[in-house]
Amino acid sequence: MSRPTSIKLPPHLTLQPTHQSTDLKGRRRSGSIVKVEEVGGRVEEMLDRNAYANINANWVNAKGAWLIHVVLVFTGKIIIDTIPGMTQQISWTLVNLIYLALSYLMFHWVTGIPFDNELHGGAYDDLTLWEQIDDGAQYTPSKKWLFTAPILLFLASTHYTNYNPWLFAVNLTALICFAIIPKLPQLHRQRVRFLAQDASGMATPVTPSFSHSDKAGILDPSSITDAHFQ
Amino acid sequence: MDSSASTLEPLLAFLAYSSSKLESTFYKIPGSAVVARYVKSSHQNDPGRTILELILVIFAIRTLLQSRTRADRSGKNFIKFSEKEIDELVDEWTPEPLTQPLTEWDQRDLSSVPIISGPSGPKPKILATGKTVTNLASFNFAGLAGNEHIKERAVDTLRKYGLGSCGPPGFYGTIDVHLDLERDIAEFLGTEASILYSQGFSTISSVIPAFCKRGDIIVADRSVNFAIQKGIQISRSTVRWFDHNDLKSLEDALQSVDKERKKRKAPLTRRFIITEGIFERDGEMVDLPKLIELKFKYKYRLILDESISFGTVGRTGRGLTELYNVPASQIDMLVGSVANGLCSAGGFCAGSSIVVDHQRINAPSFVFSASMPALLATSASEAITHLRNTPSVLATLQENIRALRAVLEKTEGITLLGHRASPIVHFSLRSTSNTLVVPSSAPAFDAETEERVLQDIVDDALANGVLLTRAKHLKGQEMIESRPTIRIAVSAAFTKKEVEKAAAVVKASVGRVLSRRR
Repeated sequence: MSRPTSIKLPPHLTLQPTHQSTDLKGRRRSGSIVKVEEVGGRVEEMLDRNAYANINANWVNAKGAWLIHVVLVFTGKIIIDTIPGMTQQISWTLVNLIYLALSYLMFHWVTGIPFDNELHGGAYDDLTLWEQIDDGAQYTPSKKWLFTAPILLFLASTHYTNYNPWLFAVNLTALICFAIIPKLPQLHRQRVRFLAQDASGMATPVTPSFSHSDKAGILDPSSITDAHFQ
Repeated sequence: MDSSASTLEPLLAFLAYSSSKLESTFYKIPGSAVVARYVKSSHQNDPGRTILELILVIFAIRTLLQSRTRADRSGKNFIKFSEKEIDELVDEWTPEPLTQPLTEWDQRDLSSVPIISGPSGPKPKILATGKTVTNLASFNFAGLAGNEHIKERAVDTLRKYGLGSCGPPGFYGTIDVHLDLERDIAEFLGTEASILYSQGFSTISSVIPAFCKRGDIIVADRSVNFAIQKGIQISRSTVRWFDHNDLKSLEDALQSVDKERKKRKAPLTRRFIITEGIFERDGEMVDLPKLIELKFKYKYRLILDESISFGTVGRTGRGLTELYNVPASQIDMLVGSVANGLCSAGGFCAGSSIVVDHQRINAPSFVFSASMPALLATSASEAITHLRNTPSVLATLQENIRALRAVLEKTEGITLLGHRASPIVHFSLRSTSNTLVVPSSAPAFDAETEERVLQDIVDDALANGVLLTRAKHLKGQEMIESRPTIRIAVSAAFTKKEVEKAAAVVKASVGRVLSRRR
């Protein structure tokens, strides 16, 4: 499993100012600070994924995997309540934030698969668990449950306590930022990159004297898709 | 005022009546009091929060009600037809021909390939006209094609072992002559061991995926041949291309890979440099000592494809390592072609015994293809002995190359490509003078027209007794579209006079065709 180098931002924070960087040799590929790019969509990666069933993502369809959320939240709340000097507001906020943090870490941060990596030849190395569930289909039952669970937790927490406005804002923003936005189908396999330089390893900095043959139509071998053979 | 108030009054009365009716019916539903109490206590006299929560609830319900989309596989693009539509489409269907009819250019291309009667050699006989022509198209660098001694040995082997090897090398297909040839090649080159593949073209595209996996880094030359491109594509590694035969660009690429890795704090993966000894596309030769120096400096492994240079350069034909006096053990995987250099069939990969043993299990072409027939293996072994014993063959080859290039350099209207010691000589049409005024640094070429002109030259040369060929590439499937060229493969089987005569014919053909065009 490998760590991705990007942070997923809410879309309203992605600006496009022109930013000239001076530390690169050759041409700068893009002028923006933040860039959204698709990952894991190449033909050969899709083929490698479909060769075998992905047991690393199928477990979320099991009944126990749905129930465990409820069980863990209950246990967590009880444990946090035992800490001396805990008020209900802080307790619910903590439960909320810890649940969101852990579920974000598990579903949206870590990429790759721990088991059966040899079978898939590294095709899942760029995909988070959320993107692997159900082979990338959206609005499946497991995804609907995982989507609803933090919302239900949040609503329960606002029902049982009376948050002051700050804590309410904190909880709500955390919910939107860490639970709702990453799970949206529009962000499927997209990554937000800061100060992206050079596309993922496909081109070198161009030296002043490139050969004539380069001008006449460079085809990247990895861009050859099924369409070329039809 | 009065009239508007009077029209609004019944409306307001109706609204009040309907809301009270709704309320009473709502409270009649069992459990409604619970819901009402829940909503009241949730509301907590804060309408702002309630609205936000309501929005959340509506969003959640909307998500729950969405239907499932298709998975990422190609099923996404399937259209679902109804039964009637399917029946209609089936009734309307008329079969298309298996292949599209050939275009005029394709037909001409196909018919321009001459048929030779008898075995191929330095002077084959064309079936259609019955004339003998000088063969400057087939790879016969050391003049081993049709060598009588090798033929005798091959026939003996055929009598002893039969023809086929009946299986992949790992499964009853290895014969002792294969092991002998592997040992011969390893001793010839000075490496620890070598492994034999049965097809020269697929050798390099099998060696690369055996070692380079997804997540590894390959730095490759832009003009590598098609087999290498396919090997790189199969390997799924991250590729960086550097400019053709430009070691400065290679160094830049190596440095930028290093920088990227440090920036991302990524773990160290295997890194490879892939390049050819003599490039098949244009005959350039790589600067091997400098390449090795870079390889050691940045700690990369070198995969060198010596398909053209093995058996052709160096004092005894050992390839680039002999030419530059570099020990072959410094190249991690030395891939060569037995088909090109030794006029037999197949290819090999030479390296340390670990490299070779790894390929016996992990190289796709070795594991899944049948091994070469025994007679081809003994022919190759004989060819190696021949090269060892008569190094004058290579000297003749170099003389012939020099003679050919001397004549062709004086030809108007064409540019010679490649290194002056390369046995493959490419020439392309020189760009016409008016493009010198074009501001862009790279003059554009019209591939189709140039190909037609080159084909005219080839046909004209054939009519005058010299067999040439254009360099054929797969359009649209290679990574770069290079300029069309005519490829001449010089052979040591000719005398200097014959080579000069053939070159003069080519020169004359070029002159005739180009003057016709003008």
